[in-house]
Amino acid sequence: MEDTDPKAASPIMAMFEGFRSELDEHHDRRERIVKSSRDITAASKKIIFALQRVRKLNAPIPQNVKKTYTPHADVIASQFGSISKDVQGLHAYLYQSQISPGIQEWMESVAFEHYLLTQKLISYEGAREKLEALGNAQGGGPVLLTHEDYLLGLFDFVGEVMRFAVTNMATLYSFRKETGAPTQKPELPPQRRAAGSAMEVDTDTSATREQSVVEDMQELRMRLEQLDMPHYTPFGKNVDKKMEVMQQCVDKVEKAAYGLVVRGSERPKGWMPDLSANTEAVEAY
Amino acid sequence: MAEHSGMVDPVIFEFLQAKVDQESAISEELQEIVTTLEKQVRSAKAILSRAHSTPVAEVGNVITAAESSIRYEIDSIEKLSKAASEHPYYKWQFKWTHQVQDTIFTILFCGWLGGYTGEGEEAKPGKLLTIEEVGKIMKVPVNLKDRDAFHITIQEYLLSLVSLLDELARLARNCVTLGDYRRPLQISNFLKDVQAGFLVLNLKNDILRRRSDGIKYKVKEVEDVVYDLSLRNLLPAADT
Repeated sequence: MEDTDPKAASPIMAMFEGFRSELDEHHDRRERIVKSSRDITAASKKIIFALQRVRKLNAPIPQNVKKTYTPHADVIASQFGSISKDVQGLHAYLYQSQISPGIQEWMESVAFEHYLLTQKLISYEGAREKLEALGNAQGGGPVLLTHEDYLLGLFDFVGEVMRFAVTNMATLYSFRKETGAPTQKPELPPQRRAAGSAMEVDTDTSATREQSVVEDMQELRMRLEQLDMPHYTPFGKNVDKKMEVMQQCVDKVEKAAYGLVVRGSERPKGWMPDLSANTEAVEAY
Repeated sequence: MAEHSGMVDPVIFEFLQAKVDQESAISEELQEIVTTLEKQVRSAKAILSRAHSTPVAEVGNVITAAESSIRYEIDSIEKLSKAASEHPYYKWQFKWTHQVQDTIFTILFCGWLGGYTGEGEEAKPGKLLTIEEVGKIMKVPVNLKDRDAFHITIQEYLLSLVSLLDELARLARNCVTLGDYRRPLQISNFLKDVQAGFLVLNLKNDILRRRSDGIKYKVKEVEDVVYDLSLRNLLPAADT
Protein backbone atom coordinates (compact mmCIF):
# COMPACT_ATOMS: atom_id res chain seq x y z
CA MET A 1 0.00 0.00 0.00
CA GLU A 2 2.61 2.54 -1.00
CA ASP A 3 -0.11 4.92 -2.13
CA THR A 4 -1.59 5.39 1.35
CA ASP A 5 0.64 8.28 2.23
CA PRO A 6 -0.35 10.79 -0.44
CA LYS A 7 -3.98 9.71 -0.04
CA ALA A 8 -3.96 10.32 3.69
CA ALA A 9 -3.42 13.96 2.92
CA SER A 10 -6.49 14.16 0.69
CA PRO A 11 -9.50 15.90 2.18
CA ILE A 12 -11.69 12.92 1.33
CA MET A 13 -9.47 10.68 3.40
CA ALA A 14 -9.46 13.07 6.32
CA MET A 15 -13.26 13.14 6.23
CA PHE A 16 -13.48 9.36 6.20
CA GLU A 17 -11.13 9.08 9.12
CA GLY A 18 -13.51 11.22 11.11
CA PHE A 19 -16.36 8.95 10.07
CA ARG A 20 -14.40 5.89 11.08
CA SER A 21 -14.12 6.84 14.72
CA GLU A 22 -17.78 7.84 14.84
CA LEU A 23 -18.90 4.58 13.29
CA ASP A 24 -16.61 2.56 15.54
CA GLU A 25 -18.14 4.15 18.61
CA HIS A 26 -21.58 3.41 17.26
CA HIS A 27 -20.77 -0.22 16.55
CA ASP A 28 -19.18 -0.72 19.96
CA ARG A 29 -22.24 0.65 21.70
CA ARG A 30 -24.51 -1.46 19.56
CA GLU A 31 -22.56 -4.61 20.32
CA ARG A 32 -22.61 -3.94 24.04
CA ILE A 33 -26.35 -3.46 23.90
CA VAL A 34 -26.95 -6.60 21.86
CA LYS A 35 -24.95 -8.61 24.36
CA SER A 36 -26.78 -7.15 27.33
CA SER A 37 -30.10 -7.69 25.64
CA ARG A 38 -29.25 -11.37 25.19
CA ASP A 39 -28.20 -11.74 28.81
CA ILE A 40 -31.36 -10.03 29.98
CA THR A 41 -33.45 -12.33 27.80
CA ALA A 42 -31.76 -15.44 29.16
CA ALA A 43 -32.07 -14.32 32.79
CA SER A 44 -35.73 -13.36 32.31
CA LYS A 45 -36.49 -16.79 30.89
CA LYS A 46 -34.89 -18.37 33.94
CA ILE A 47 -36.95 -16.18 36.24
CA ILE A 48 -40.12 -17.19 34.45
CA PHE A 49 -39.09 -20.81 34.72
CA ALA A 50 -38.61 -20.42 38.47
CA LEU A 51 -41.91 -18.61 38.83
CA GLN A 52 -43.73 -21.45 37.12
CA ARG A 53 -43.08 -23.45 40.28
CA VAL A 54 -45.38 -21.16 42.23
CA ARG A 55 -48.60 -22.97 43.12
CA LYS A 56 -50.64 -20.27 44.74
CA LEU A 57 -52.06 -17.16 43.17
CA ASN A 58 -52.36 -13.86 44.96
CA ALA A 59 -49.75 -14.74 47.55
CA PRO A 60 -46.11 -13.85 48.25
CA ILE A 61 -43.54 -15.72 46.18
CA PRO A 62 -42.41 -18.77 48.24
CA GLN A 63 -38.91 -18.69 49.66
CA ASN A 64 -37.56 -21.58 47.58
CA VAL A 65 -38.64 -19.94 44.33
CA LYS A 66 -37.21 -16.62 45.43
CA LYS A 67 -33.89 -18.26 46.10
CA THR A 68 -33.63 -19.65 42.56
CA TYR A 69 -34.57 -16.47 40.85
CA THR A 70 -32.59 -13.90 42.86
CA PRO A 71 -29.28 -14.48 41.04
CA HIS A 72 -31.03 -13.99 37.70
CA ALA A 73 -32.70 -10.82 38.92
CA ASP A 74 -29.24 -9.59 39.89
CA VAL A 75 -27.96 -10.28 36.37
CA ILE A 76 -30.83 -8.28 34.94
CA ALA A 77 -30.23 -5.38 37.29
CA SER A 78 -26.54 -5.22 36.51
CA GLN A 79 -27.10 -5.49 32.74
CA PHE A 80 -29.68 -2.73 32.64
CA GLY A 81 -27.49 -0.67 34.93
CA SER A 82 -24.44 -1.02 32.73
CA ILE A 83 -26.08 -0.29 29.38
CA SER A 84 -28.32 2.53 30.53
CA LYS A 85 -25.66 5.11 29.71
CA ASP A 86 -25.64 3.87 26.11
CA VAL A 87 -29.35 4.38 25.60
CA GLN A 88 -29.85 7.93 26.80
CA GLY A 89 -31.33 10.83 24.86
CA LEU A 90 -30.92 10.48 21.13
CA HIS A 91 -29.69 6.92 21.58
CA ALA A 92 -32.81 5.65 23.33
CA TYR A 93 -34.52 4.99 20.02
CA LEU A 94 -31.36 4.48 17.96
CA TYR A 95 -30.68 1.19 19.72
CA GLN A 96 -34.30 0.30 20.28
CA SER A 97 -34.27 -2.69 17.96
CA GLN A 98 -31.16 -4.06 19.71
CA ILE A 99 -32.46 -3.76 23.25
CA SER A 100 -36.10 -4.46 22.53
CA PRO A 101 -35.94 -8.31 22.65
CA GLY A 102 -34.44 -8.16 26.12
CA ILE A 103 -36.97 -5.63 27.33
CA GLN A 104 -39.87 -7.67 26.00
CA GLU A 105 -38.71 -10.80 27.77
CA TRP A 106 -38.12 -8.80 30.93
CA MET A 107 -41.60 -7.32 30.56
CA GLU A 108 -43.03 -10.82 30.30
CA SER A 109 -41.34 -11.90 33.52
CA VAL A 110 -42.37 -8.76 35.37
CA ALA A 111 -45.99 -9.09 34.27
CA PHE A 112 -46.01 -12.73 35.30
CA GLU A 113 -44.55 -12.05 38.70
CA HIS A 114 -46.97 -9.18 39.25
CA TYR A 115 -49.84 -11.44 38.28
CA LEU A 116 -48.79 -14.20 40.66
CA LEU A 117 -48.50 -11.71 43.48
CA THR A 118 -51.68 -9.74 42.91
CA GLN A 119 -53.73 -11.49 40.21
CA LYS A 120 -53.73 -8.17 38.37
CA LEU A 121 -52.24 -6.97 35.15
CA ILE A 122 -49.29 -4.67 35.69
CA SER A 123 -49.90 -1.21 34.25
CA TYR A 124 -47.62 0.47 31.76
CA GLU A 125 -46.73 3.08 34.37
CA GLY A 126 -45.88 0.40 36.91
CA ALA A 127 -43.61 -1.41 34.49
CA ARG A 128 -42.04 1.81 33.24
CA GLU A 129 -41.14 2.83 36.78
CA LYS A 130 -39.52 -0.53 37.43
CA LEU A 131 -37.40 -0.29 34.31
CA GLU A 132 -36.50 3.29 35.02
CA ALA A 133 -35.31 2.33 38.47
CA LEU A 134 -33.14 -0.46 37.03
CA GLY A 135 -31.54 1.99 34.62
CA ASN A 136 -31.01 4.61 37.29
CA ALA A 137 -29.51 2.20 39.81
CA GLN A 138 -25.95 2.69 38.53
CA GLY A 139 -26.42 6.33 37.69
CA GLY A 140 -26.72 5.75 33.94
CA GLY A 141 -30.18 7.24 33.64
CA PRO A 142 -33.55 5.65 32.93
CA VAL A 143 -34.02 2.94 30.33
CA LEU A 144 -36.94 3.63 28.03
CA LEU A 145 -39.93 1.31 28.03
CA THR A 146 -41.86 1.85 24.82
CA HIS A 147 -45.53 0.99 24.87
CA GLU A 148 -44.77 -1.37 21.98
CA ASP A 149 -42.44 -3.44 24.12
CA TYR A 150 -44.91 -3.33 26.97
CA LEU A 151 -47.69 -4.64 24.79
CA LEU A 152 -45.63 -7.29 23.05
CA GLY A 153 -44.44 -8.46 26.46
CA LEU A 154 -48.07 -8.81 27.54
CA PHE A 155 -48.83 -11.09 24.62
CA ASP A 156 -46.03 -13.41 25.65
CA PHE A 157 -47.16 -13.18 29.24
CA VAL A 158 -50.46 -14.84 28.24
CA GLY A 159 -48.42 -17.91 27.28
CA GLU A 160 -46.98 -18.07 30.79
CA VAL A 161 -50.41 -17.75 32.37
CA MET A 162 -51.50 -20.61 30.15
CA ARG A 163 -48.73 -22.84 31.44
CA PHE A 164 -49.49 -21.78 34.96
CA ALA A 165 -53.22 -22.42 34.57
CA VAL A 166 -52.78 -25.83 33.00
CA THR A 167 -50.21 -27.15 35.46
CA ASN A 168 -52.16 -25.83 38.41
CA MET A 169 -55.64 -26.64 37.28
CA ALA A 170 -56.00 -29.40 39.84
CA THR A 171 -54.79 -27.21 42.67
CA LEU A 172 -56.84 -24.24 41.67
CA TYR A 173 -59.83 -26.46 41.27
CA SER A 174 -59.62 -27.98 44.73
CA PHE A 175 -58.77 -24.62 46.24
CA ARG A 176 -61.88 -23.14 44.80
CA LYS A 177 -63.89 -26.16 45.87
CA GLU A 178 -62.93 -25.62 49.49
CA THR A 179 -62.97 -21.91 49.90
CA GLY A 180 -64.11 -20.23 46.71
CA ALA A 181 -67.70 -20.55 45.63
CA PRO A 182 -70.39 -21.10 48.22
CA THR A 183 -71.36 -24.72 48.83
CA GLN A 184 -73.37 -26.01 45.93
CA LYS A 185 -77.01 -26.78 46.40
CA PRO A 186 -77.57 -30.45 45.67
CA GLU A 187 -80.74 -29.81 43.63
CA LEU A 188 -78.75 -28.08 40.88
CA PRO A 189 -78.18 -30.20 37.77
CA PRO A 190 -74.68 -31.69 37.79
CA GLN A 191 -73.31 -29.71 34.82
CA ARG A 192 -74.42 -26.47 36.34
CA ARG A 193 -72.94 -27.35 39.69
CA ALA A 194 -69.60 -28.24 38.15
CA ALA A 195 -69.48 -25.12 36.05
CA GLY A 196 -70.22 -23.00 39.03
CA SER A 197 -67.62 -24.49 41.25
CA ALA A 198 -64.74 -25.10 38.91
CA MET A 199 -64.71 -22.26 36.47
CA GLU A 200 -67.39 -19.88 37.63
CA VAL A 201 -68.48 -19.21 34.11
CA ASP A 202 -72.05 -18.54 35.19
CA THR A 203 -73.35 -15.05 35.56
CA ASP A 204 -72.95 -14.85 39.30
CA THR A 205 -71.58 -11.36 39.89
CA SER A 206 -71.58 -11.18 43.63
CA ALA A 207 -68.91 -8.76 44.78
CA THR A 208 -66.97 -11.26 46.83
CA ARG A 209 -66.66 -13.72 43.98
CA GLU A 210 -63.09 -14.42 42.96
CA GLN A 211 -62.20 -14.46 39.32
CA SER A 212 -60.61 -17.63 38.02
CA VAL A 213 -57.46 -17.76 35.93
CA VAL A 214 -59.54 -18.72 32.90
CA GLU A 215 -61.66 -15.64 33.32
CA ASP A 216 -58.53 -13.52 33.73
CA MET A 217 -57.25 -14.85 30.45
CA GLN A 218 -60.57 -14.27 28.76
CA GLU A 219 -60.66 -10.72 30.01
CA LEU A 220 -57.13 -10.03 28.86
CA ARG A 221 -57.88 -11.62 25.51
CA MET A 222 -60.90 -9.39 25.06
CA ARG A 223 -58.87 -6.28 25.86
CA LEU A 224 -56.06 -7.25 23.52
CA GLU A 225 -58.45 -8.06 20.69
CA GLN A 226 -60.26 -4.81 21.22
CA LEU A 227 -57.19 -2.71 20.53
CA ASP A 228 -57.33 -0.92 17.22
CA MET A 229 -53.88 -1.36 15.75
CA PRO A 230 -52.26 -0.38 12.50
CA HIS A 231 -51.57 -3.50 10.44
CA TYR A 232 -49.02 -2.24 7.97
CA THR A 233 -46.23 -1.22 10.35
CA PRO A 234 -43.57 -3.64 11.59
CA PHE A 235 -45.10 -3.32 15.05
CA GLY A 236 -48.58 -4.03 13.70
CA LYS A 237 -47.36 -7.15 11.93
CA ASN A 238 -45.70 -8.32 15.09
CA VAL A 239 -48.93 -7.77 16.99
CA ASP A 240 -50.92 -9.73 14.41
CA LYS A 241 -48.60 -12.68 14.80
CA LYS A 242 -48.66 -12.61 18.58
CA MET A 243 -52.42 -12.13 18.62
CA GLU A 244 -52.87 -15.51 17.02
CA VAL A 245 -50.56 -17.26 19.47
CA MET A 246 -52.31 -15.53 22.36
CA GLN A 247 -55.69 -16.77 21.15
CA GLN A 248 -54.38 -20.32 20.92
CA CYS A 249 -53.13 -20.06 24.49
CA VAL A 250 -56.51 -18.96 25.79
CA ASP A 251 -58.20 -21.69 23.73
CA LYS A 252 -56.01 -24.34 25.29
CA VAL A 253 -56.91 -23.29 28.79
CA GLU A 254 -60.59 -23.05 27.91
CA LYS A 255 -60.49 -26.57 26.52
CA ALA A 256 -58.72 -27.84 29.60
CA ALA A 257 -61.28 -26.17 31.82
CA TYR A 258 -64.06 -27.70 29.78
CA GLY A 259 -62.52 -31.13 30.10
CA LEU A 260 -62.20 -30.68 33.81
CA VAL A 261 -65.84 -29.75 34.20
CA VAL A 262 -67.12 -32.54 31.99
CA ARG A 263 -65.04 -35.19 33.67
CA GLY A 264 -65.53 -33.65 37.05
CA SER A 265 -69.27 -34.01 36.74
CA GLU A 266 -68.91 -37.79 36.66
CA ARG A 267 -67.02 -37.95 39.88
CA PRO A 268 -68.41 -39.38 43.08
CA LYS A 269 -68.75 -36.92 45.89
CA GLY A 270 -65.41 -36.01 47.46
CA TRP A 271 -63.35 -37.59 44.70
CA MET A 272 -60.62 -35.42 43.17
CA PRO A 273 -59.78 -36.00 39.53
CA ASP A 274 -56.29 -37.09 38.62
CA LEU A 275 -55.40 -34.36 36.16
CA SER A 276 -51.94 -35.42 35.11
CA ALA A 277 -53.17 -37.18 31.97
CA ASN A 278 -55.45 -34.33 31.10
CA THR A 279 -52.66 -31.82 31.54
CA GLU A 280 -50.36 -33.67 29.21
CA ALA A 281 -53.03 -33.92 26.60
CA VAL A 282 -53.51 -30.19 26.72
CA GLU A 283 -49.85 -29.44 26.48
CA ALA A 284 -49.34 -31.80 23.61
CA TYR A 285 -52.26 -30.35 21.76
CA MET B 1 -68.73 -8.95 32.43
CA ALA B 2 -66.72 -5.75 32.45
CA GLU B 3 -66.52 -5.30 36.21
CA HIS B 4 -63.47 -3.28 37.13
CA SER B 5 -62.61 -5.57 39.99
CA GLY B 6 -61.26 -8.00 37.42
CA MET B 7 -57.71 -8.64 36.39
CA VAL B 8 -57.37 -5.77 33.96
CA ASP B 9 -57.75 -2.17 34.93
CA PRO B 10 -59.45 -0.75 31.82
CA VAL B 11 -57.37 2.42 32.13
CA ILE B 12 -54.36 0.38 31.00
CA PHE B 13 -55.91 -0.31 27.64
CA GLU B 14 -57.43 3.11 27.25
CA PHE B 15 -53.93 4.47 27.65
CA LEU B 16 -52.50 2.03 25.12
CA GLN B 17 -55.20 2.84 22.59
CA ALA B 18 -54.61 6.57 23.03
CA LYS B 19 -50.90 6.04 22.52
CA VAL B 20 -51.44 3.99 19.37
CA ASP B 21 -53.85 6.57 17.96
CA GLN B 22 -51.50 9.39 18.74
CA GLU B 23 -48.68 7.64 16.91
CA SER B 24 -50.83 6.97 13.89
CA ALA B 25 -51.55 10.69 13.74
CA ILE B 26 -47.85 11.54 13.92
CA SER B 27 -47.13 8.96 11.29
CA GLU B 28 -49.70 10.45 8.93
CA GLU B 29 -48.44 13.95 9.46
CA LEU B 30 -44.89 12.92 8.62
CA GLN B 31 -46.01 10.76 5.73
CA GLU B 32 -47.66 13.71 4.04
CA ILE B 33 -44.43 15.68 4.02
CA VAL B 34 -42.42 12.66 2.93
CA THR B 35 -44.78 11.97 0.02
CA THR B 36 -44.33 15.52 -1.22
CA LEU B 37 -40.59 15.26 -0.82
CA GLU B 38 -40.61 12.03 -2.78
CA LYS B 39 -42.23 13.76 -5.75
CA GLN B 40 -39.74 16.58 -5.59
CA VAL B 41 -36.88 14.11 -5.45
CA ARG B 42 -38.19 12.48 -8.62
CA SER B 43 -38.28 15.83 -10.45
CA ALA B 44 -34.78 16.74 -9.32
CA LYS B 45 -33.47 13.33 -10.35
CA ALA B 46 -35.15 13.65 -13.74
CA ILE B 47 -33.46 16.98 -14.34
CA LEU B 48 -30.10 15.68 -13.18
CA SER B 49 -30.33 12.65 -15.43
CA ARG B 50 -30.16 15.04 -18.38
CA ALA B 51 -26.48 15.31 -17.50
CA HIS B 52 -26.05 11.92 -19.14
CA SER B 53 -27.05 13.28 -22.51
CA THR B 54 -25.74 16.82 -22.24
CA PRO B 55 -22.30 17.78 -23.58
CA VAL B 56 -20.05 19.08 -20.88
CA ALA B 57 -20.08 22.57 -22.35
CA GLU B 58 -23.82 22.86 -21.78
CA VAL B 59 -24.00 21.10 -18.46
CA GLY B 60 -24.31 24.49 -16.77
CA ASN B 61 -27.95 24.62 -17.80
CA VAL B 62 -28.60 21.31 -16.16
CA ILE B 63 -26.94 22.53 -12.98
CA THR B 64 -29.01 25.72 -12.86
CA ALA B 65 -32.22 23.78 -13.42
CA ALA B 66 -31.23 21.15 -10.85
CA GLU B 67 -30.33 23.74 -8.23
CA SER B 68 -33.72 25.38 -8.49
CA SER B 69 -35.46 21.99 -8.44
CA ILE B 70 -33.52 21.00 -5.35
CA ARG B 71 -34.76 24.15 -3.65
CA TYR B 72 -38.22 22.59 -3.55
CA GLU B 73 -36.77 19.52 -1.87
CA ILE B 74 -35.17 21.77 0.70
CA ASP B 75 -38.51 23.45 1.40
CA SER B 76 -39.91 20.04 2.25
CA ILE B 77 -36.87 19.17 4.30
CA GLU B 78 -37.45 22.33 6.29
CA LYS B 79 -41.04 21.30 6.99
CA LEU B 80 -39.95 17.78 7.80
CA SER B 81 -37.25 19.03 10.12
CA LYS B 82 -39.74 21.15 12.00
CA ALA B 83 -42.34 18.39 12.32
CA ALA B 84 -39.83 15.65 13.09
CA SER B 85 -38.01 17.60 15.76
CA GLU B 86 -41.16 17.42 17.89
CA HIS B 87 -40.54 13.71 18.33
CA PRO B 88 -37.63 11.43 19.15
CA TYR B 89 -35.51 11.46 16.00
CA TYR B 90 -34.68 7.79 15.72
CA LYS B 91 -38.21 6.70 16.48
CA TRP B 92 -39.36 8.03 13.12
CA GLN B 93 -36.21 8.17 11.05
CA PHE B 94 -37.29 5.10 9.09
CA LYS B 95 -40.13 7.10 7.58
CA TRP B 96 -37.98 9.61 5.76
CA THR B 97 -34.49 8.21 5.59
CA HIS B 98 -34.81 6.99 1.98
CA GLN B 99 -36.14 10.29 0.73
CA VAL B 100 -33.53 12.21 2.70
CA GLN B 101 -30.81 10.00 1.23
CA ASP B 102 -32.18 10.71 -2.23
CA THR B 103 -32.18 14.42 -1.50
CA ILE B 104 -28.57 14.26 -0.37
CA PHE B 105 -27.77 12.32 -3.52
CA THR B 106 -29.28 14.99 -5.77
CA ILE B 107 -27.23 17.63 -3.96
CA LEU B 108 -24.04 15.57 -4.17
CA PHE B 109 -24.54 14.89 -7.87
CA CYS B 110 -25.37 18.50 -8.62
CA GLY B 111 -22.29 19.55 -6.66
CA TRP B 112 -20.10 17.06 -8.48
CA LEU B 113 -21.27 18.38 -11.85
CA GLY B 114 -20.19 21.83 -10.75
CA GLY B 115 -23.17 23.15 -8.86
CA TYR B 116 -23.11 24.88 -5.49
CA THR B 117 -20.18 27.09 -6.35
CA GLY B 118 -19.66 30.15 -4.22
CA GLU B 119 -20.35 33.65 -5.59
CA GLY B 120 -17.82 34.68 -8.21
CA GLU B 121 -16.04 31.35 -8.14
CA GLU B 122 -15.62 29.37 -11.29
CA ALA B 123 -17.67 26.19 -11.45
CA LYS B 124 -15.37 23.28 -10.72
CA PRO B 125 -16.72 19.88 -11.61
CA GLY B 126 -15.57 16.78 -9.79
CA LYS B 127 -15.87 18.02 -6.23
CA LEU B 128 -17.30 16.11 -3.33
CA LEU B 129 -19.48 18.17 -1.03
CA THR B 130 -18.74 17.30 2.58
CA ILE B 131 -21.50 16.33 4.99
CA GLU B 132 -21.23 19.77 6.56
CA GLU B 133 -21.66 21.47 3.18
CA VAL B 134 -24.65 19.28 2.40
CA GLY B 135 -26.13 20.14 5.79
CA LYS B 136 -25.70 23.82 5.07
CA ILE B 137 -27.39 23.51 1.69
CA MET B 138 -30.25 21.55 3.27
CA LYS B 139 -30.36 23.98 6.20
CA VAL B 140 -30.28 21.17 8.75
CA PRO B 141 -27.72 20.10 11.35
CA VAL B 142 -25.52 17.09 10.66
CA ASN B 143 -24.42 14.24 12.90
CA LEU B 144 -26.16 15.60 15.99
CA LYS B 145 -25.09 14.07 19.25
CA ASP B 146 -25.96 16.45 22.04
CA ARG B 147 -29.64 16.97 21.37
CA ASP B 148 -32.56 15.08 19.91
CA ALA B 149 -33.65 16.92 16.77
CA PHE B 150 -33.83 16.40 13.05
CA HIS B 151 -30.48 16.09 11.30
CA ILE B 152 -28.71 14.07 8.67
CA THR B 153 -26.57 11.21 9.83
CA ILE B 154 -23.19 9.98 8.68
CA GLN B 155 -24.81 6.77 7.49
CA GLU B 156 -27.29 8.65 5.34
CA TYR B 157 -24.52 10.74 3.84
CA LEU B 158 -22.41 7.69 3.08
CA LEU B 159 -25.29 5.79 1.53
CA SER B 160 -26.02 8.77 -0.70
CA LEU B 161 -22.36 8.86 -1.62
CA VAL B 162 -22.56 5.24 -2.80
CA SER B 163 -25.50 6.26 -4.99
CA LEU B 164 -23.37 9.06 -6.41
CA LEU B 165 -20.67 6.57 -7.36
CA ASP B 166 -23.24 4.40 -9.14
CA GLU B 167 -24.46 7.42 -11.04
CA LEU B 168 -20.96 8.49 -11.99
CA ALA B 169 -20.09 5.05 -13.33
CA ARG B 170 -23.03 5.44 -15.67
CA LEU B 171 -21.93 8.96 -16.54
CA ALA B 172 -18.45 7.76 -17.47
CA ARG B 173 -19.81 5.65 -20.31
CA ASN B 174 -22.22 8.32 -21.48
CA CYS B 175 -19.45 10.92 -21.59
CA VAL B 176 -17.63 8.75 -24.08
CA THR B 177 -20.76 8.49 -26.20
CA LEU B 178 -20.94 12.25 -26.22
CA GLY B 179 -17.31 12.43 -27.34
CA ASP B 180 -15.98 13.59 -24.00
CA TYR B 181 -12.86 11.50 -23.34
CA ARG B 182 -11.61 13.59 -20.46
CA ARG B 183 -14.24 13.04 -17.80
CA PRO B 184 -14.00 9.23 -17.56
CA LEU B 185 -10.51 9.65 -16.24
CA GLN B 186 -11.65 12.28 -13.79
CA ILE B 187 -14.49 10.00 -12.67
CA SER B 188 -12.13 7.08 -12.32
CA ASN B 189 -9.85 9.04 -10.01
CA PHE B 190 -12.78 10.32 -7.98
CA LEU B 191 -14.20 6.83 -7.52
CA LYS B 192 -10.83 5.52 -6.40
CA ASP B 193 -10.45 8.31 -3.87
CA VAL B 194 -13.84 7.62 -2.38
CA GLN B 195 -13.24 3.89 -2.47
CA ALA B 196 -10.05 4.39 -0.49
CA GLY B 197 -12.11 6.36 2.00
CA PHE B 198 -14.61 3.53 2.41
CA LEU B 199 -11.74 1.11 2.93
CA VAL B 200 -10.68 2.82 6.15
CA LEU B 201 -14.12 2.30 7.67
CA ASN B 202 -14.69 -0.74 9.85
CA LEU B 203 -18.04 -1.73 8.50
CA LYS B 204 -20.27 -4.20 10.25
CA ASN B 205 -22.78 -6.42 8.61
CA ASP B 206 -25.35 -3.76 7.81
CA ILE B 207 -26.84 -1.84 4.94
CA LEU B 208 -23.79 0.40 4.59
CA ARG B 209 -21.58 -2.65 4.28
CA ARG B 210 -23.79 -4.21 1.63
CA ARG B 211 -24.07 -1.03 -0.40
CA SER B 212 -20.38 -0.22 -0.19
CA ASP B 213 -19.47 -3.75 -1.27
CA GLY B 214 -20.70 -2.72 -4.71
CA ILE B 215 -18.21 0.12 -5.05
CA LYS B 216 -15.45 -2.10 -6.36
CA TYR B 217 -17.59 -3.14 -9.32
CA LYS B 218 -18.27 0.48 -10.14
CA VAL B 219 -14.59 1.28 -9.94
CA LYS B 220 -13.91 -1.57 -12.30
CA GLU B 221 -16.60 -0.45 -14.74
CA VAL B 222 -15.02 2.96 -15.00
CA GLU B 223 -11.51 1.50 -15.23
CA ASP B 224 -12.74 -0.54 -18.17
CA VAL B 225 -13.94 2.63 -19.88
CA VAL B 226 -10.59 4.30 -19.29
CA TYR B 227 -8.84 1.17 -20.55
CA ASP B 228 -10.92 1.13 -23.71
CA LEU B 229 -10.03 4.75 -24.32
CA SER B 230 -6.34 4.34 -23.65
CA LEU B 231 -6.17 1.25 -25.84
CA ARG B 232 -7.38 3.32 -28.75
CA ASN B 233 -5.25 6.31 -27.85
CA LEU B 234 -8.32 8.38 -27.18
CA LEU B 235 -7.28 9.74 -23.79
CA PRO B 236 -6.45 13.43 -23.87
CA ALA B 237 -2.67 13.66 -23.87
CA ALA B 238 -2.11 16.52 -21.44
CA ASP B 239 -4.28 15.01 -18.73
CA THR B 240 -3.26 13.03 -15.64
